[in-house]
Amino acid sequence: MIEHAYLIPLIPLAASALMHFGAKEDPHSPAPWIGVVAMAICLGMSLSILSAVASGSVAVPYEHNWPWFSFAASIGGKSFIYDMPVGVLIDGPAAVLLVVVTLVSLMVQIYSIAYMHDDTRYMRYFGFVSFFTASMLGLVVSSNLLVGFMSWELMGLASYLLIGFWFEKDGPTEAQKKAFMTTKLGDSGLYVALLFLFAKVGSFQLTQIHHFYDKGYMPAAAAAAIAIGLLFGAMGKSAQFPLFIWLPDAMEGPTPGSALIHAATMVAAGIFLVSRTYFCFLAAPQVMHAAAWIGCATAFLAAAMALVSYDIKRVLAFSTVSQLGFMMCALGVGGYTAGLFHLTTHAFFKALLFLGAGSVIHSVHTNDLRLMGGLSKKMIVSFFTILAAIAAISGIPFTSGYYSKDMILANIWHSGDRPLFFIMLFTALMTAFYMSRLFILAFWGEARDHEKHHHAHESPFLMTGPLVLLAFLALTSGFMLDRHGLVYKLLPKPTISVMPGEVAREHAPPATLVSATMPAEGGEHAAAPSEAKAEEHAPAHEAAAEHGEHHEGHLPHALHLALPFLVLGSIGFAFFLYKGPDYAAAESLKATFAPVFTVLDRRWYLDDAFDLLVVFCDKVAALAFWIDANVVDRVFVDGWGLLMRIVSEISNLIDALFVDRTVDGFGGLSLDLGVGLRGLVKDGQVQEYLMYVAIAFSLAATLILTR
Amino acid sequence: MNNLRLLLPETVLATLALVIAFADLVVPAKRARVLYHLAWLSAAGVLAWIAFTMGDASTHGVGTLWSVDPFSQFFKLTTLLTCVLCLLLGLDYAELPENQAGTFSALMLLSTAGLMYLVSATDLLLIFVALELVSISSFILAGFERGNPKSNEGSMKYFLFGAFSSAVMVFGISLYFGATGTTHLAASAAAPGPMLILGLVLILLGFGFKASLAPMHFWVPDAYEGAPTPVTTFLSVAPKLATFAALARVFGAIFPLQAYDLTLLFSIMAALTMTIGNFTAMFQTDVKRLLAYSSIAQAGYLLIGLAVGTPLGREGVMLYSFVYVAMNVGAFAVVQAVGSAKGSYDLSAFDGLCKRRLGLSLSLMFCLLSLAGIPPLAGFMGKLYIFSAAVQTGQWWLAVVGVLNSVVSVYYYFAIAHRMFFKEPSDDAAIPVGAYIYGGVAVAVVGVLLFGVNPEPLIAGVRASTQILP
Repeated sequence: MIEHAYLIPLIPLAASALMHFGAKEDPHSPAPWIGVVAMAICLGMSLSILSAVASGSVAVPYEHNWPWFSFAASIGGKSFIYDMPVGVLIDGPAAVLLVVVTLVSLMVQIYSIAYMHDDTRYMRYFGFVSFFTASMLGLVVSSNLLVGFMSWELMGLASYLLIGFWFEKDGPTEAQKKAFMTTKLGDSGLYVALLFLFAKVGSFQLTQIHHFYDKGYMPAAAAAAIAIGLLFGAMGKSAQFPLFIWLPDAMEGPTPGSALIHAATMVAAGIFLVSRTYFCFLAAPQVMHAAAWIGCATAFLAAAMALVSYDIKRVLAFSTVSQLGFMMCALGVGGYTAGLFHLTTHAFFKALLFLGAGSVIHSVHTNDLRLMGGLSKKMIVSFFTILAAIAAISGIPFTSGYYSKDMILANIWHSGDRPLFFIMLFTALMTAFYMSRLFILAFWGEARDHEKHHHAHESPFLMTGPLVLLAFLALTSGFMLDRHGLVYKLLPKPTISVMPGEVAREHAPPATLVSATMPAEGGEHAAAPSEAKAEEHAPAHEAAAEHGEHHEGHLPHALHLALPFLVLGSIGFAFFLYKGPDYAAAESLKATFAPVFTVLDRRWYLDDAFDLLVVFCDKVAALAFWIDANVVDRVFVDGWGLLMRIVSEISNLIDALFVDRTVDGFGGLSLDLGVGLRGLVKDGQVQEYLMYVAIAFSLAATLILTR
Repeated sequence: MNNLRLLLPETVLATLALVIAFADLVVPAKRARVLYHLAWLSAAGVLAWIAFTMGDASTHGVGTLWSVDPFSQFFKLTTLLTCVLCLLLGLDYAELPENQAGTFSALMLLSTAGLMYLVSATDLLLIFVALELVSISSFILAGFERGNPKSNEGSMKYFLFGAFSSAVMVFGISLYFGATGTTHLAASAAAPGPMLILGLVLILLGFGFKASLAPMHFWVPDAYEGAPTPVTTFLSVAPKLATFAALARVFGAIFPLQAYDLTLLFSIMAALTMTIGNFTAMFQTDVKRLLAYSSIAQAGYLLIGLAVGTPLGREGVMLYSFVYVAMNVGAFAVVQAVGSAKGSYDLSAFDGLCKRRLGLSLSLMFCLLSLAGIPPLAGFMGKLYIFSAAVQTGQWWLAVVGVLNSVVSVYYYFAIAHRMFFKEPSDDAAIPVGAYIYGGVAVAVVGVLLFGVNPEPLIAGVRASTQILP
């Protein structure tokens, strides 16, 4: 099956085209099932690939390329023609991501059939969703960063289309523009990084680039520049501080679409890109450190904003940003496995949360948590499935989030950066708090708005079915992957044997980044100096790496045991604050710390800052426009015309005053001369002419002869 | 006059142009459209002639004032292709006076012939004469809609600026002549000195006028806005690309930038051109003006390829030029269709276009996305080529400026796309689309998609045509 992996992005693409252009717009059309069936086929293929990879029956990484086009390149003064292939590269993370993306997309599509049934642009929506998924799958399977970048951009386009789906309203229109331009800004970093990579390596093939890094051919400065560019791209797509401003607004799109963006496609792409090019980051430790802190800032700031929001989708959006911060932080401290593990588990429970929220919104027709309450009695399936998701995201023991978040925290702990660890720990507790708060406000206690409560009802089976399946995964996927160290086997951390700039020498002890980040294990990780030796030692090396990461994946015992209690305490605190029908405790707290709440409610004033920036750019560009319209047009173009007129007036004047006079003068002179001459020549008699000719001739002759 | 036969194709084209001009007197006004067909068929014939003899080494050689080489043939192809497409667009442009079809098409052909001379010229005399031939035909073409005051205004401004830049260029040529004692472009004759360099810079400014490089771009928006749309299309593509070819010949092959310390000047001009074009385009409400500024920005990207000064950069310029023909002509063709139907080129004319004309909207979107450099369309490949050439020579800051500029450009290109797909149409007026416009758009969109997904044949073609004879 793995040899047909190239079909996985192509099938949904074809389905998308078919639904978009082939089918008529009709709310009862069976055409969405085309997308569902296409995605189900892809899911089947992905599952078979994953099981083959997990069982070890195929050698990973599996790579297959087809010729695409050739490109002239000159590297280091030598010019040669480089053949650019297009192909698939399936390794453990790609296999896992394939399953996650296809599964979530399938669930979203099935759910949407019920959710979107009365929309006027039913087919268009399904076309967009399939297109979106296809671009994400293209990024996942591609062996070529250039093709990856194409998929990346197409995904940006798809998100633009999906967020602005209800374009009759102003909100979605603004949100789609914001999302597109913000991510596009990040993309520019990725673009520059790709140009640098190509200039240095002469290839966009991931395996070749890895090989190049592995040999230590990449100069340190270039490695840092490339890593910064890649990180910038990932920050845009994966909504990291300070480019996260687009994600909370992106929920203006249809809710199942948000589930897709928040769980499986858009935001996962950035994290996946970082993991796919992880060796570039390993070669630039400072950038990795920066990534860790950016992730930390993102996680904390977003979690704090989630504490005060009353919009159910907004809380979920902030929580996505916060969880993405966790992943980025994990990748930044070298917790490759942990970051991707969390990406996987997060995809399940976040898709579930959004679909669940969609179910609630569908039923009560509001996003406002204050108008909900007591829904547990009306919507029993939604209640239990969301409960499962909230347990998972909060990190209740033995749910999926527990395993992955625990591993992330352990990685941070072992990186030795204590401030980072404690901020992230605190953020994890905040997560538990705001998710419980959401849960209590929506489902617990008594109904606050009886009108809405009265009309609330459980959603149809097409909506609850996906919820149940996702809830199952949200609870168990962590345990399944963590068992027997499967996650380490599927998501092995890549390594580079030589640091940038230091070309491997026979006797020099190579300084590996692995040794730099893991002092305790450093000796075992020192890579063999020559390639042949490296291959020889490969099994031992892998074993050591595995052992090392297992070690990194565990918190110290006391912390490990204390963590669940801290989480439960945080949940308890949420109950204490929000338990009553009018959550008086929370309100009094809010009154006490009003300024803090205002800052959080205004989203740390980041949106205002960006607005100011946009206004500033607007002003600058308006100034340029004004200069163009007034100065340039007036001065250069009109002015040029005016100048010409003045010059011509002056020249006219000169003409009239001097030239004409001169001409007149000459004319007069010649006239006078003529008159005088005519006076001399009396009556035009021939003998006189001859006389003058004779005089002239004699004069000339005299002159010539007397010389 | 050595090897005059090498210039036979352009001479034939110029002769045909004159024939068509005179035929105008004979052909009755009712049948005047036949002259358009005659014109585009002539251009297409010459196009086929050059295309089929391109690989033939006997058609290449060095003449007295010219040299015909694969490089010049490549740009003659882009010029002729643009000319054919624009004449086809002209057939569907109702605002052109019917009874002057002969004049119009003759001027288009003459201008094309001038550009073909220009790309082969190796002597400043021929360059100047060719440029004047192009300019004077374009001045008239730009003011062809005599009833339209904007057309007159644009044409007048174009003319004034053209006159100025011609003067500057002649001054440069005179300095060059003073420094070297010849008007022939040959590095051996010239030792780098202040006078020569001043001369070269003035000549560069003269070129900059035609290629719409900052600071010689001021005429562009007005001339483009006022000119009949097929003429705008032609002006935004053919003279620009041919001038780039001449620039590549003069400043790439004969006077390498590095040897004359002009790299920095070129880089700054490129950065300025891109930035001015993109940032001013953001505020345009008239689509033709918007595309005019966008074409200024595109010239900036092309100039990066020349500023880099490596063979890779030159290949990038060639690749991007070819792609640029497709995407710009495609975009203008759709704009012409919508603008003529609505009687206004305001952005709001595009509201809800996808409801009426899905094919046209998609085509325009593809062309705009390609202009913005979004993969997997052809424009992305061209930009990638040029930017990676810049990074490889260490001028990465130019690539960074270019990438950031393409982000800015996305904003205004998407403003059009947004109106087409996300707004309700403002009225129910029908949007008739002529068969020739459909043809032009189809050619352009196929090019944009095909060369984006499969750039192999184009790259092979470009690599086969890089040779420049001295």
